[in-house]
This record gives sequence, C-alpha cells and structure tokens, in this order.
Amino acid sequence: MAAGFKTVEPLEYYRRFLKENCRPDGRELGEFRTTTVNIGSISTADGSALVKLGNTTVICGIKAEFAAPPTDAPDKGYVVPNVDLPPLCSSRFRSGPPGEEAQVASQFIADVIENSQIIQKEDLCISPGKLSWVLYCDIICLDYDGNILDACTFALLAALKNVQLPEVTINEETGLAEVNLKKKSYLNIRTHPVATSFAVFDDTLLIVDPTGEEEHLATGTLTVVMDEEGKLCCLHKPGGSGLTGAKLQDCMSRAVTRHKEVKKLMDEVIKSMKPK
Amino acid sequence: AGGRCSGSWRAMSPAYVPFLPQIRGSRARALPDRALVNCQYSSATFSTGERKRRPHGDRKSCEMGLQLRQTFEAAILTQLHPRSQIDIYVQVLQADGGTYAACVNAATLAVLDAGVPMRDFVCACSAGFVDSTALADLSHVEEAAGGPQLALALLPASGQIALLEMDARLHEDHLESVLEAAARAARDVHTLLDRVVRQHVREASVLLGD
Repeated sequence: MAAGFKTVEPLEYYRRFLKENCRPDGRELGEFRTTTVNIGSISTADGSALVKLGNTTVICGIKAEFAAPPTDAPDKGYVVPNVDLPPLCSSRFRSGPPGEEAQVASQFIADVIENSQIIQKEDLCISPGKLSWVLYCDIICLDYDGNILDACTFALLAALKNVQLPEVTINEETGLAEVNLKKKSYLNIRTHPVATSFAVFDDTLLIVDPTGEEEHLATGTLTVVMDEEGKLCCLHKPGGSGLTGAKLQDCMSRAVTRHKEVKKLMDEVIKSMKPK
Repeated sequence: AGGRCSGSWRAMSPAYVPFLPQIRGSRARALPDRALVNCQYSSATFSTGERKRRPHGDRKSCEMGLQLRQTFEAAILTQLHPRSQIDIYVQVLQADGGTYAACVNAATLAVLDAGVPMRDFVCACSAGFVDSTALADLSHVEEAAGGPQLALALLPASGQIALLEMDARLHEDHLESVLEAAARAARDVHTLLDRVVRQHVREASVLLGD
C-alpha cells in the first residue's frame, strides 16, 4: 500500500515523513548516510580512493605524468580533474560525450582544487621552465544515488593523500630526467576541503545528503565546501528556490560539523593502512 | 530491474544491466523475434600502468564490446524478450591481465542479478603456453612476455564453448593441454560464482522474510 502511494504521489509521500522530521530511510534531516572509504586499492594508479556514501559509490584514481610547465607560470605543475558519470551508474545517463551533469561536476572539482589550494602547484614543479608533474585525477561514479559532489570531493582528497611521487633529478649532461622509483614521497596536502550538500524541499525545508529520489523531488540544491580552519572554499547553489541568510548560516555550521566527521574518518583510515 | 555486480578478479569490473524491455534511441533496430544485446566496455584511465587517454570508443574497447556481445548472445535466452534491448556496461578499474575473462565473469553475475534468463553461467578464463607448460589465468606480466594466449568462455553445465580466441602461434599438439587448462580454471570459477549466487539468494530471501 505504501509502495503504491509512493509511486503515484512521491512528493506527498515524502511530505508525510518530513512532517515527522525524518526521512523514508530512517535518517533525520541533518544526518548523513554511512560513509566508508577505502584508500589505495588500485595498484596501477599512483593514488586511489573508493568512497561510498550510502549507495553512492565513487572511485578516484590519480596518475602522475611529466609535462612542460605552462609558459606564463614556469614554476607550476598541473592538476587536471575529470568526473565521469557513465551509463553504468544510473539509467539516466547515456553513453557518449560527457553530459551536462558530468561537466558541471568536473568544473566544481576544478574550482575546489583551485580555491582551497589543496596542493600548491609550485610543489609539482621539478625543474622550473623545463619539467613538472601533471596529476590527472579521474573520478568515476560507479553507483549514483544522489550527492555526487560530496562523494567526489572526499574521494579526491583521500586519493591525493595516498599519492606517492618518486624523486626526479635532471641529469646535468644529458638533460634527461632520471626517476628514482625507490624513493617516493607523499604530496604536501595543505588544506582538507570537505563538501556538504543540501536539498531544499518546498522552498523551506533543508535536508542534508539527499539520495537520488530526494534530489529529484527537491526544489533546489546547495553545496558548501569548508576547510579545517572554518574557511569557506566554495559555495555552489545552482538556481532553485531562494534561501534566507539565516538558513545559509545553518548550513555552514552543519558543514563545519561534517568536516570534523570526515576528517576523523580519513585520519583513521590512513593510520590503519600498513606502510608499504 | 537493474543488476550490478563488482567482480574483484585482479581486474575489478562492475557490470550493469538496466531495465529489460526498453528501447533506447533507434526503434528501428529492434528485432521482432528476440532481444537485442548491447555491450559496452570501458576501462578507466588509471587502470593500466600507462595512463590510457581514451576510456572508450577506441578500437580495443569496441572489439572487447563486440566479443562480450557475442558471448552473451550465446548465453542469454533472447527469444523470451522480443523487441527489447539489454544493455551490459562493463567498467574496468584495474587491469592486471585476463581482462576479457574478468569482464565475462562480472557480467554473468550482473545479468543474473538483473533477472535476465540465461542458459547457464558463462565462466571465462585465459590460458597461455610457456616453457612447454600450459598456464591458466595469465597476469599482465605473463601476457606481455609474448607467448601464445587463449581466452575461453565456457557454459559449464553443457561444456559448450561460447567464445574461444587465440593470439600468437601455437602448435596444434599443445592446443589440447592449453584448452584443458583454461576449461578447468573456468569450471573452478563456476563453482565460486555458483556458491556466491546461492549465498546471495539465501541472504536476500532471509531479508524478504520468506
């Protein structure tokens, strides 16, 4: 009977739950789904992380290559993010060139990297003007159940913490790069940006970490990216219903708490990883 | 219903089979008497040692997709669902040899999970021949060594071969032993897959409260 009602009137079905301040999957309005993270599972990638936010599963793989630094910034390297939403993850996506949602997500991740200064591009430079690292961060969604941006940001952060770059020296005589695979060092991660996404229901109610169905029924979304000093890195509100300043402040305080939760989880996982 | 599975067989590949009676785009391609099987193979850019620039659409991915389609057309009972399409998407996250075999095994589980009727499990394994010994399930290093390689997809109950492909030169005297090695490994895979499926069904029926 409930399943029939849900199919015919999904919005009413949700409203009944929201009136009692909870959601169909049993969560409260401000509660996140169970988050699990697995770091370093892909050995062919230089750094990798798999993040599961409830059913939403996202994997990030990072590969490092050499490149000539840009002419206008000879002492910087590159970080190239790319988010891929294949038809594999949800029936709403078709195969072919990246759709709108994938491109928006890619741009969002690029903005987060740029704004939060997660790594200094100067750290990626090997020899100014001649050689630098380029980090290709490929994020693939394996299962889409809402809140893709949070999962992608977390996966990217975890994968970057896992990246180990070998030591490279430029041979004076030949001018070629010599890579010492035995000596590897971790990247210097300066900040830890964590994203928190909200969905707006009926122009008034805010719920945290929307599932696929909730995103579909929502009248607006908001994503807040915070780093550990309480600094706002990025605020993404693509249209939708308007929000008052007070509601925005609530969101930001929720984002601060979420940051602590995520940071704790990630530190635990990294500590539990046996050194190679 | 959709089905998905993640096979960790050194090449992790989730396969996804979406809704069954669904025509995407070209209605003209619908077959009047059976279902159309469409397979797409995609390997992540970080899946190989060297970064792969084109995850899908290149020759190898198209060939792999075609091989998977041919394999599954042999196994799926397409006559039961005319004028509809079954899409199988395979994504390789890490490639360490035997990617075709891993894709087939993962896709079998996904198709089963989706509830699409099949003749039998499709179990696959690769095999090679090095130093007069037949080796089953080659790793990337062994494949790169350049010896003959065989990819075999088997329907275990009947022992019928769904797909057999071989690269490089192999004397016909040795073919028997290499085929035997691959078939034995495929049967072992079948035992494992069968056990996993039964356990999953048992767990699912407990959750449903049967």
